Amino acid sequence: MVKNIEKSHPADCFLRADPVSSVWCPGCGIGTVINTFIQTVEKLNIDLNEICVVSGIGCTGKVAEYLKFKSFQVNDGEVIKYAAKVKSENSDSKVVVFSNNADFLVSGAEDFIEIGKNDVNILVIHINNIIYTITENRAIPTTPFMRASINKDFELPFNIPHLAKSCGARYVARWTPLHAGWLMYSIIDAFYKKGFSVIEVISPCLMYYASNDRMADAAGRMKFYDTNSVIKQDEFTENLDIRINNKIIIGKFVDKK
Amino acid sequence: MKIFPTGVKVAQGEVHIEKDICKGCGFCVSYCPMDVLEISTEFNAKGYHFPIVKNPGNCIDCGLCGMLCPDFAIWSTLKEKKEVVEL
Repeated sequence: MVKNIEKSHPADCFLRADPVSSVWCPGCGIGTVINTFIQTVEKLNIDLNEICVVSGIGCTGKVAEYLKFKSFQVNDGEVIKYAAKVKSENSDSKVVVFSNNADFLVSGAEDFIEIGKNDVNILVIHINNIIYTITENRAIPTTPFMRASINKDFELPFNIPHLAKSCGARYVARWTPLHAGWLMYSIIDAFYKKGFSVIEVISPCLMYYASNDRMADAAGRMKFYDTNSVIKQDEFTENLDIRINNKIIIGKFVDKK
Repeated sequence: MKIFPTGVKVAQGEVHIEKDICKGCGFCVSYCPMDVLEISTEFNAKGYHFPIVKNPGNCIDCGLCGMLCPDFAIWSTLKEKKEVVEL
């Protein structure tokens, strides 16, 4: 691929809509995750026809439209099932799933458990922005504990790394978009695992919290994740709940052969 | 601003900005370690304030701005290696 990095961005050859910018809000964490993913693919120097990207609905579903790999955008709750199907039919390909809270935990959770138990060789990059884009009023499985939603209902938060470990995932990690270098080496590690691997990315969403007037600035919200996260490698996955007073624990938690 | 000891060869980078793709989130300005960028007072085609280069001599081509940009609007390239003589 011919590149002229003096004139155009080095990642432009991986994007489908070259001169148009992305559809996400200014300062959304999804863009940074995609930037990191493209840098990983550049660094690995592998055949681009081998990579398949599957994404679901919502803001994260736009990832498949944006990247110039073989990509599929599927219905609500069918992302991981579809990715396993793609993998079973093309055994040489490397399947990467970009999922969000709406794609599993409610409608696709049993597929996640079943495919984790079967140890299908796919990589799931779960972008957790602590909200659903559709239903911002209700408490959802990842709302932090004792953090009231607009309807004033509470729920215990869901612990995605613990779920992935108990399903038998070979590689489990959690980062924020700001830890782009860590995330890049995590994706490289997970690419060479021959089994189910899950990376959770806790990403800022500006849409609904911007109206609170507390963290309206994009860079200020990213700085909140920076100061409130602490790296603890090989931490027990039981301790990884996101509570309102605790710091967000990030790092690599499971790395099996 | 004395960071590097004298006699050390430091990479000299050049920042490229596509101002009409930028959405003005400010990640590059707030996380630049060498204080190269600042937010402009002008608007681009979409109505956002884009970053401009304030101190072009400070850039060391670390690539952090291009790593964090969500819209692929900024990147840096290596220009030459300059020698720090005295500060």
